[in-house]
Amino acid sequence: MPFKTQKHDTAQTLTLEWILQVKNYKLALDKDQCVGCQICSLACPKGAITLIKQPKVTGEATKKAKVDIDLAKCNFCGVCDLTCPYGAIKLTFNGDHSLNVVAKETFPELIRDIKIDTRNCPKECVACKEACPLGQLKITKVTFDGKPVANFEALSPSERKHVVVNIDIPKDKCPTCRACEYKCPPGVIKMRKAFEGKIAVNQAKCPPGCRDCVDVCPMTGTLTVGNGKVEVNEATCTYCGACKVVCPVPEALTLKRTKVLHTPIHSGTWNKTLERITSPADVAKELKAASGLNAKKAVAKRFSKQEEFIR
Amino acid sequence: MSQPEAPKQPLQQPEPLRVGVFVCHCGLNIAGTVDVKAVAEYAKTIPDVVFVKENRYTCADPGQEEIRKAIREQKLNRVVIAACSPRMHEPTFRRTVSEAGLNPFLYEMANIREFASWCHQNDPQAATERAKDSVRMAVAKARLMMPLQTLEVPVTNKALIIGGGIAGMNAALDLAEMGFKVYMLENSQSIGGHMAALDKTFPTLDCSICIEGPKMVDCARHPNITIFAYSDLVKVDGYIGNFKVKIRKNPRYVIAERCTGCGECKDVCPIEYPNEWDMNLGTRKAISVPFDQTVPLIYAINRDYCIECFKCTDKCKDRQAIDFEQKPEEVEIDVGAIIVSTGFDVYLPYDMPLLGYGKYPNVITSMEFERLILAAGPTGGKVIRQSDGKKPHSIAFIQCVGSRDKNKYPYCSNFCCMYTLKHVVQIKEKYKEDVEVYVFYMDIRSPGKGYEEFYDRARERGANFIRGRVSRIDEDPITHNLILHSEDSNLGQPIEIEVEMVVLATAAIPKKGTADIARILNLSRDANGFFMEAHPKLKPMDAPTDGVFFAGACVSLKDIPFSVSQGSGAAARAATVISKPKWKIEPIISIVDETKCKSCGVCVDKCPYGAIRWEKGKPANIITASCHGCGTCVAECPQHAITQMHFTDAQIMAQIRSALQDKPEEKILAILCNWCSYAGADLAGISRFDYPASVRAIRVMCSGRVDKEFILEALRLGAGMVLLGACHLPYDCHYISGNYKMKARTDALKTMLIKLGMSPERFRVEYVSAAEGIRYAEVIKEIDAERKAIGKEKIEAETAKLKPVLENMLKRWKKP
Repeated sequence: MPFKTQKHDTAQTLTLEWILQVKNYKLALDKDQCVGCQICSLACPKGAITLIKQPKVTGEATKKAKVDIDLAKCNFCGVCDLTCPYGAIKLTFNGDHSLNVVAKETFPELIRDIKIDTRNCPKECVACKEACPLGQLKITKVTFDGKPVANFEALSPSERKHVVVNIDIPKDKCPTCRACEYKCPPGVIKMRKAFEGKIAVNQAKCPPGCRDCVDVCPMTGTLTVGNGKVEVNEATCTYCGACKVVCPVPEALTLKRTKVLHTPIHSGTWNKTLERITSPADVAKELKAASGLNAKKAVAKRFSKQEEFIR
Repeated sequence: MSQPEAPKQPLQQPEPLRVGVFVCHCGLNIAGTVDVKAVAEYAKTIPDVVFVKENRYTCADPGQEEIRKAIREQKLNRVVIAACSPRMHEPTFRRTVSEAGLNPFLYEMANIREFASWCHQNDPQAATERAKDSVRMAVAKARLMMPLQTLEVPVTNKALIIGGGIAGMNAALDLAEMGFKVYMLENSQSIGGHMAALDKTFPTLDCSICIEGPKMVDCARHPNITIFAYSDLVKVDGYIGNFKVKIRKNPRYVIAERCTGCGECKDVCPIEYPNEWDMNLGTRKAISVPFDQTVPLIYAINRDYCIECFKCTDKCKDRQAIDFEQKPEEVEIDVGAIIVSTGFDVYLPYDMPLLGYGKYPNVITSMEFERLILAAGPTGGKVIRQSDGKKPHSIAFIQCVGSRDKNKYPYCSNFCCMYTLKHVVQIKEKYKEDVEVYVFYMDIRSPGKGYEEFYDRARERGANFIRGRVSRIDEDPITHNLILHSEDSNLGQPIEIEVEMVVLATAAIPKKGTADIARILNLSRDANGFFMEAHPKLKPMDAPTDGVFFAGACVSLKDIPFSVSQGSGAAARAATVISKPKWKIEPIISIVDETKCKSCGVCVDKCPYGAIRWEKGKPANIITASCHGCGTCVAECPQHAITQMHFTDAQIMAQIRSALQDKPEEKILAILCNWCSYAGADLAGISRFDYPASVRAIRVMCSGRVDKEFILEALRLGAGMVLLGACHLPYDCHYISGNYKMKARTDALKTMLIKLGMSPERFRVEYVSAAEGIRYAEVIKEIDAERKAIGKEKIEAETAKLKPVLENMLKRWKKP
């Protein structure tokens, strides 16, 4: 079989493939999970990903932009996979999801800093589950002897007391919006956002009655319409930019990402990606921080025997 | 570069003309059809002819001696030899004539073999008539010929080899050993060519890279060889002995001098892409070498795939060999000779859907099989199926996929039978009884030392040889096994066989980029797209362009031993040029009559070589060494101030008048360019294609030379038909663009002549290549039929009508 490239576009997935005699490269985009944000298209070092705005139909909610990947440009590096905040893209080699760019320390993984301490969970509480805008958060309850609880109401009060609650957030898919954290009464969930930034709506520039951004925003409560105007609440914003993609007036909605939480890395690809996702100034900030760290390390290495002296 | 002296326009010799005519029998080649005696007798009646002699073989020593003797004894000052084509023996007789003390440009050939006896075998009388006319035309030209002095140019004693496969490497090593400086140009990352990608070689089953690798290293180490790998040929200027070559070194983004080939960069690179060296079966890194034995061992970054993580730069910190800012670099070198050894490509039968290549995972080509069975290949030497990764238990080899196929490539690809036998032996010796092998073949062609014995060895291993073409392959959708439908022509019945893997022995085709090289070097290509040699039998390694030679499969497909010997042969041919301090150039160049030149500058634009320098107000100046002698400027000059030596206006006019002396309305006057249409007409003769004998042919160097007035004069004299033969557009012209200049000129001329009342069929421009003998014969047949259809009366009537107008236009020629 000669080298073959394939692209399949179905309603649920977009699949790109390189089929070689002994290797198979497969890039799959889960269209249900994709929110049409701009992060992968900004991150792609080959410029292979484009966003196609969907035509508006009067009387219907605005649709999210569609992601298209150019088979001729894609080199199956996996950068899109690593940067997607929603975990919608998966790259596999021979069915194995172990990325070369991670193994060779070329590209960082997003850190989804989620800490859950279920000891303080009220046993009947499901607030976090209800708060999750993507329905990813799962709560499982087991009795003290390890049996899963089918019906919490049917348990006796003493049994209820000894129920163990488990909260499961899929770490490769959670966009870290913190909605669950806010809704959690005793502060069981602690979360840091993977992307930080600034979002603002200039209501004066908004076309009257336009609610495109509100329609596509996957989060709850980030963008709302009050008094016919769009309002922003940054608390649950993931700074993904799905709203920015569909906004018809360029100045009406400004979105700036300033920081990405990621595993430590030293790589040109990442610097360029960061520059595109955030801004050159923010890259400089990160590089400065890294150089400070490096300097500290170097000093520590040299004077390791004189720790006292450093202090 | 010093300019050779331009010859001063020689004056007409005052002494009385003494023409000697030598008519050759060429055994029975001429005498078998043409009445040679009658031709000789006729020659005696031509004015100025003082001596006529018949020879059995004029080109043989006794024949040549006759000429020398006659020149000395009869005091001949012009010689006409009626024999074969001047493309064959002109240089031979030039030498003969000059040995007798006569200027070699005072002799002319009348082609009565290719142009009379061989092409009119069914009509000896007409052939004899044509031969007589040819002699008369040659004498007419000879009367006006002038002695010319051969020019000498200095020679750069260096050579360029284009293509670093096994043929090119041998040529390089041989020349380098002779002491010449050799530049080797290779467009891929490593020299070695196809041979470096093979597992074993037939019939000895030597490991291919093990025997080629040391040669590759020798090339890299030799102090006389400079390798430009990963580079392209941009431009070639100049001429034999003095080529100026521009090469573009493509950026590797790795500094060649600093790279040690350690490969640490490759280990940290995260990006993989299909390795074209592995027929895309395996992968390589974005910074890598295609295979371990790469020569020169310099890594390169493929920026199409690189994501610029700079991990390689970090790793190469100490040597700092990686430079992402590298730009393409152009290098200019001077060489005296060029050897073209660009090789071949392998056809991928995507457009033969019935064989399922690209559709069924277990159908592969032989080259892919080669990479699978190679121990250093992507599977580590395991032959496995793509569908399930398992070893096949039955394999069918299909021969002649694309080759010997009228709809694809009509030729035989030469080495497929042998490499398939090699694969059969290899797979049988590897897996023994565990694998069943079928070979579907048309004929097994094994002419070579030890080849037939190798065929026996394959049969002894128990392979099934089935004579028949496979018409269709189907796939079992579950097992991905393949069902072959064929006919066993030995048994005469249809058969169906299920196998687990199919290997297609596909055609070898001209290398991608052959057309570009042909354009840059002014080479012609044959009907199949391979380069054309100067002569298929006697000059198999010479290009039509002087100073350019061929080696290996770029001319016709060859296996390794033949390519190696051609490499050495081409080296010897190139050495004949670059071993000399000076090279003689034919003085058939253009010169300007400064008294006539009005300094209009028309010729400057029309010269395909930019050989004319001109300042407003001053006469044009032709740079002799750059002039290739096409004569386009001569035809274009509005003042008739330029003359092409040996093909002057007066000489060609004399030939036209002589050709149309009797019964012009029954004649086809053909003016043919030397490199394509004249050679095509020669080929028609060599191939014995019969065509009407009414044609009278005149040779010019290029169709660009053909002055409007030649056509007008022919029509004024009442020629039945006029044919102008040229090289095919766009790239075939030996002089780059002479045919375009001719086309522009004749298109306007034809429109005018039709307006004046000429039948449009009577003047025709035809593009005939040197390979199209059959086409030339067909064209002449067509024209002759048209001539008969128009009829003698109509032609005469048209002539009478056109004559006054034409005479007015030809005022300059009123008094010949």
